[in-house]
Amino acid sequence: MIEGQISQMAHLGAGIAIGFGAIGAGLGIGFATKGLMDAVSRQPEVAGKAFGFFLLGAALSEACALYAFVIAFQLLGK
Amino acid sequence: MSEAGHWIYTLSTSGHNYTFNLDTIFTMWFAMAVVIIFALLATRKLSLVPGKMQAVSESILKFFWGTLDTMMPNKNRQHVPLVASLFLFILTANLMGQLPLRIIHMKTGELASPTNDLNVTGALAIIVLIYYVAAGLKAKGAKFFLHEFSFTGIVMALVELLEMVTRPLSLAIRLFANVFAGEILISIALGLYAYFLPLPIMLFELLVAFIQATVFMMLTIAYISSASSEEH
Repeated sequence: MIEGQISQMAHLGAGIAIGFGAIGAGLGIGFATKGLMDAVSRQPEVAGKAFGFFLLGAALSEACALYAFVIAFQLLGK
Repeated sequence: MSEAGHWIYTLSTSGHNYTFNLDTIFTMWFAMAVVIIFALLATRKLSLVPGKMQAVSESILKFFWGTLDTMMPNKNRQHVPLVASLFLFILTANLMGQLPLRIIHMKTGELASPTNDLNVTGALAIIVLIYYVAAGLKAKGAKFFLHEFSFTGIVMALVELLEMVTRPLSLAIRLFANVFAGEILISIALGLYAYFLPLPIMLFELLVAFIQATVFMMLTIAYISSASSEEH
């Protein structure tokens, strides 16, 4: 391919990478929130403790989107 | 403002080129100095009735003891030095990113948190790898690598060898990507609507700094615990 086309395709690939990465992280944080809501509605007294675990899990699943972000950023530099 | 670039210095000696990210080195020493000075001030005049500094540092130490107690069943106090210094260093380093150090102008790059460099987070992750392998070897000897001689035992040993690569990799990239993405997000918001839109994102980054330091510490404790516990 020509030089310009490679750069265009790399930009397209960056968009695709961050898009698919965001799907997984969004699903993960959604499930984590659902679990938090279930736990708090069943036992409102554990709300504080459950929120701490929720933040941990949300950070762990958000990291998956950030892996995709790093890949996308590498592609943008191409 | 360049987007989280680095001030790279190249040293050529005897045919080899060594590159140094000078801004990262400077900010890392700054974070280390903050932690060391805090530790020296906290332990200067120890007494049975704690002063202000001593009370703060004792409550910080109690936080680490509580976390270790909930995540590791026995013999957990010996891991406090590594875990506490990792947490305090990463927290200081992440919070440094919100200081107005960027107004100091440099040729390329900018002064921000040192954890926006993959080299720093990679070094921290390799320290964790060496520590938990050493803890496993100390607790179980050669049985840490070799389980019973059967099909599942061999597969488990191979999977654990693979984990020795993937665990530090995910630790390093998680911390690096969170801090780096935060800085990119702030600079994009600064371009959209200067001075007002970045403020809530910077507040969110303070929360992210705490959460990522906690996540790094928790995963370190979990790895050490799974390496040195008896059953598998």
